Amino acid sequence: MAAVAQTTPLSRILWPALAWTIALIFFFPIFWLVFTSFKTDADAVKPEHLFFFTPTLENYANMTENYDYWRFAINSVITATFATALALVVGVPAAYAMAFDPSRHTKDILVWMLSTKMLPAAAVLYPMTFLTKNMLGLFDTHFLVIVVLCLINLPIVIWMLFTYFKEIPKDIIEAGKMDGVSTWGEIKDILIPLAWGGIASTALLTFIFCWNEAYWTVRLTTIDAATLSKLIEGNRAPEGLFFGRLSAVSTAAVGPIVVLGWFCQKQLVQGLTFGAVK
Amino acid sequence: MANRTLPRLLQAPAVLMLLMWMLVPLGMTLFFSFIRYVLNSLRRPEWTTPSIENWRGLGNYKYVLEAKDFWFAIQNSVFIVVSILIFTVVFGLLIAVLVNRSFPGRGIVRVLLISPFFVMPAVNAVLWINMILDPVLGLNGLAVAGINDLVVGLREFPLIGQFFSMWPELKPISFRATQTSAYAVIMMVTWQWTPFAVLIFMTSLQSEDESQKEAAMLDGASAWSQFINLTVPHLARPIAIVVMIQSIFHLSLYAEIEIVSRGNGNKNLPYLIGEFTSNNIGAASATGIFAVILANIIAIFLLRMVGKSLMD
Repeated sequence: MAAVAQTTPLSRILWPALAWTIALIFFFPIFWLVFTSFKTDADAVKPEHLFFFTPTLENYANMTENYDYWRFAINSVITATFATALALVVGVPAAYAMAFDPSRHTKDILVWMLSTKMLPAAAVLYPMTFLTKNMLGLFDTHFLVIVVLCLINLPIVIWMLFTYFKEIPKDIIEAGKMDGVSTWGEIKDILIPLAWGGIASTALLTFIFCWNEAYWTVRLTTIDAATLSKLIEGNRAPEGLFFGRLSAVSTAAVGPIVVLGWFCQKQLVQGLTFGAVK
Repeated sequence: MANRTLPRLLQAPAVLMLLMWMLVPLGMTLFFSFIRYVLNSLRRPEWTTPSIENWRGLGNYKYVLEAKDFWFAIQNSVFIVVSILIFTVVFGLLIAVLVNRSFPGRGIVRVLLISPFFVMPAVNAVLWINMILDPVLGLNGLAVAGINDLVVGLREFPLIGQFFSMWPELKPISFRATQTSAYAVIMMVTWQWTPFAVLIFMTSLQSEDESQKEAAMLDGASAWSQFINLTVPHLARPIAIVVMIQSIFHLSLYAEIEIVSRGNGNKNLPYLIGEFTSNNIGAASATGIFAVILANIIAIFLLRMVGKSLMD
């Protein structure tokens, strides 16, 4: 198909032009969000200022005043960071054991772990509220959000790490064992340096998933541990008078993550298909 | 035996954490689904504490199965998921084939295309329903108003004015209405997940056997028949995976539905559970068990497929 395309000059221009057009259409809503964030709330709803207006940074400057943005942003950073770290601390040793010392149950354990990811969250909504509110007193705490974010991402973390670790030759780990290196030493001095790229991209992807999570972070918090998802969902009001400021706070909420996402496109495929698509 | 201890110990925290995460809340849901349990009841205060004495057997299940909302929610869940699947797979295939050749700026095109996938669902919904689809202030309303103004302006001209005076005034569609809010959700989720399908299909296309295609080309096969006879069969497995992963994610859609219309005319199963949870925990739990069963039917196929590719 590629060879055919190159023979006719028309298609040499036509297909790339079509690809560019589609890409721009897909990106347009994000562009529009950023674009609107530089309009005043008044300009944002005036047709005559649809494309031409005096850009302003006031929406960004007033983000704290209007939405208390930083409180939610800091909660998002804290919960996503610690949840990712916790998932790695639990996941690296587990994936290490599964990759280098598999038993006949390893495959079943991995598949079972994935199956926990498929449990519909809504089905356990009330028990989770009941447990954390009435019994453990953990409702609306950073600790709870961190643990839940860690749990929902742990299967993907272990799965991704497992596929990366499997590519490391077993002999290297065995050699370490012969030399009498402890397990902790093996992980720290041999495994982690060798699999550094894989661990980093696993962490990056987990961080993105934690940041974007919108069910438990909204349902298990009120104020103290509320993240950006909760902030945006709380300001869904259709009044439309605040398009400018709403765009600014939304841009600030998704901007860093979209940029991070650009750097881990490849890992995304592996992480989301559990290595089933190569 | 001794050398099995260490690997087990290393896996233990992960296994135990996930085991608790799975068993404790789900066990409670299962228990609540068999008892009478409401959060507020003046008439029957004894029902407000979960207790085995309020045993109701399959009563909650019967109640849920007879509720009109339940069948509507199932129907609507399936409608939303199937629509999104059709759009994302078709668009995903076409775009992946289109982008899978080299042309100037391909890297940038890829970056632009994948971006929607990283937008958090809450922002996606707020952005689409307000700034794009709003019938007055959004681009939807502005575009329709613009067309109407244009038609009115054209009526002033001789000859063609006659023709345009017969044009009706267009009315923008409101996507918050009972009948249309599902379309809004389908639109925004398709926008977000088509990039995912593109990415997976592109990854898979790169492992396609080029020599087969060249042979087909020498035999005079058209581009279209190559696409249908070689590319689509090669993509059968990724398509199946995209379908299953998306089914699992979209069966539990929540934020989008909440933001678009607060479930007005557009409830799905998770939303219905959320509504029951405001008082009738028994019914919410029974609905939850149905949701688990529905998700498991799909999950079994997915896990089989993933399990097969696991050790090679």
